[in-house]
Amino acid sequence: MNGVLGIAGYVLREAASRKFILAFLLGVTGVLVTLSLSLKIEVVDGALAASRLFGEVMDINIRAVDVALKPVFMAAAGIVFYGGILFGIVSCSDFATSLLSPGRIEHLLALPLRRWHILAGTFLGVMSLALLGSLYGSVGLVLIFGVKTGYWTMGPVISAMLACVSFAAVYSVMLTTATIIRSAALCAALGGITLVAGIIAGFRTKIAPFIEEGVSRELFKGVTLVLPRLSSLAKAGMDLAASTPLGVQSLTMLLAGVFVFGLGVLALGFWWFEGRDY
Amino acid sequence: MPAIEVIGLRKTYRRAFRSGHEALRGVDLSVPEGSAFGLIGPNGAGKTTFIKSILGIVQPTEGTVRVLGGSPEDPRIRARIGYLPERLHLPGSWLAPVFLGTVAGLKGLKPDKAANLRLLERVGLADALGRRIGGYSKGMRQRLGLAAAMLGSPDLLILDEPTDGIDPMGRVEVRRILQEEVQRGTTLFLNSHLLAETERLCDRVAILGNGKVLREGRLEDLARSGARWVVRFAPGVDAGALGAAGFTAAGTEGQYHVEAADVAGLNAALDKARATGALLMELKRDGQDLESVLASAMGVAA
Repeated sequence: MNGVLGIAGYVLREAASRKFILAFLLGVTGVLVTLSLSLKIEVVDGALAASRLFGEVMDINIRAVDVALKPVFMAAAGIVFYGGILFGIVSCSDFATSLLSPGRIEHLLALPLRRWHILAGTFLGVMSLALLGSLYGSVGLVLIFGVKTGYWTMGPVISAMLACVSFAAVYSVMLTTATIIRSAALCAALGGITLVAGIIAGFRTKIAPFIEEGVSRELFKGVTLVLPRLSSLAKAGMDLAASTPLGVQSLTMLLAGVFVFGLGVLALGFWWFEGRDY
Repeated sequence: MPAIEVIGLRKTYRRAFRSGHEALRGVDLSVPEGSAFGLIGPNGAGKTTFIKSILGIVQPTEGTVRVLGGSPEDPRIRARIGYLPERLHLPGSWLAPVFLGTVAGLKGLKPDKAANLRLLERVGLADALGRRIGGYSKGMRQRLGLAAAMLGSPDLLILDEPTDGIDPMGRVEVRRILQEEVQRGTTLFLNSHLLAETERLCDRVAILGNGKVLREGRLEDLARSGARWVVRFAPGVDAGALGAAGFTAAGTEGQYHVEAADVAGLNAALDKARATGALLMELKRDGQDLESVLASAMGVAA
């Protein structure tokens, strides 16, 4: 287990030295600071009386704070979900390929580590990074609106965690790809394809009737059956962030599907990596 | 117990849609504990594949590999090995002490910043501690790789081209460090294209060619060319008479070669030469340098 933590630390240290990741953290901080300084909200008896953004009065009706903040949290959850996964795909695409690059992987494999430690550590490191980033953004948002309106909710934080779970499924594909072909571009491309496929899988029952009946439709249903329903998870995350009833039938089943998909793909990557020569 | 024992090692790289490449074709090799062992051979001989096989980085197709009395797959065995790969890829944005600390952690060593700094000073990087690795020259990276390999005072050092990119003075320093390690009891396994370096550092050598060990043994035994002696006579010898006595001209004036199975045979040949009036000035066993040994092993005229 020490080996896994050691490699995870290696990945986090590598991430800390990347300008891209630091720029992202600075960007999130900038948005949070700007929001906290420029947004003035007046709450009277639990209702939003007046809001000013950069000093300009926002023309909205007087509504209860929780109702008024629903679209804000919903939009934020959507941005965190899709934006976060997209950013993760781009920024984390070369962590695994860098560790597996010629001259580095030989060195790592000669250290007293098990081969699976290297992959598990990379996965753990990247997921820690995703978790920290999403927690930072979502907790910051909750704190800003909580302090300004007195309305406290864990919805956006839970929604950010769902985004992390979804990213785990996407990253499992990227990591497995890296064990087969050491190309950051290919890892990012397959991560992007998994995201798009996951969005389509979430709408599979709505899309299926538009496909010609017969083999094509059955093939579509068969392929999308095994894919993680990312758009459904995103919808669930947005509902949770806005504290509205869940639109999906079973969040547990959705999460189980993502878990099984990610674990299956990772198992394939681990198996391949164990037998590969470098 | 040998530090490295390899029996019947074969490695065939299989590739999809292409015929496989047989890199090692039944290698048998034993590296004694505490020795400084050099592996030499031309490009494509299978040297790097051999090194990767004894570290478990490449999985043999056939044969057995035992390192330090165990399997190289065992992390406890690998914890006792220090390895410097041929082209070590270092994280460019890190500082050397941080890199060394991380490798020490992955090796399961207790954090010891002072020891790491001493090691960096020992390999000549004391002045570059505050610089990012990305700004290091090739030689400095090699030195850092060497420091990483020596972390935890391993029992076996496997170095693939350790002085590649290091300037001549630096090579002398690295050689001194490696000699100190061997004196400490470490087994040194060296793969270097620089034959002079192998000659200076190693007491045993194996020549790998076409995936097989062509010759292996103590350096002086390999360099010795059997029963041939070099003899130099004073000017004015009778070349014809010397030829009749079994001497062949070596090219340089007064220098001859003679074959003698033992000391008695050598003295008999010398007596014959002196009987022709030749005066002996110098006598030595005809030795070869490593380059000649390699060339003759590969079947190429030196």
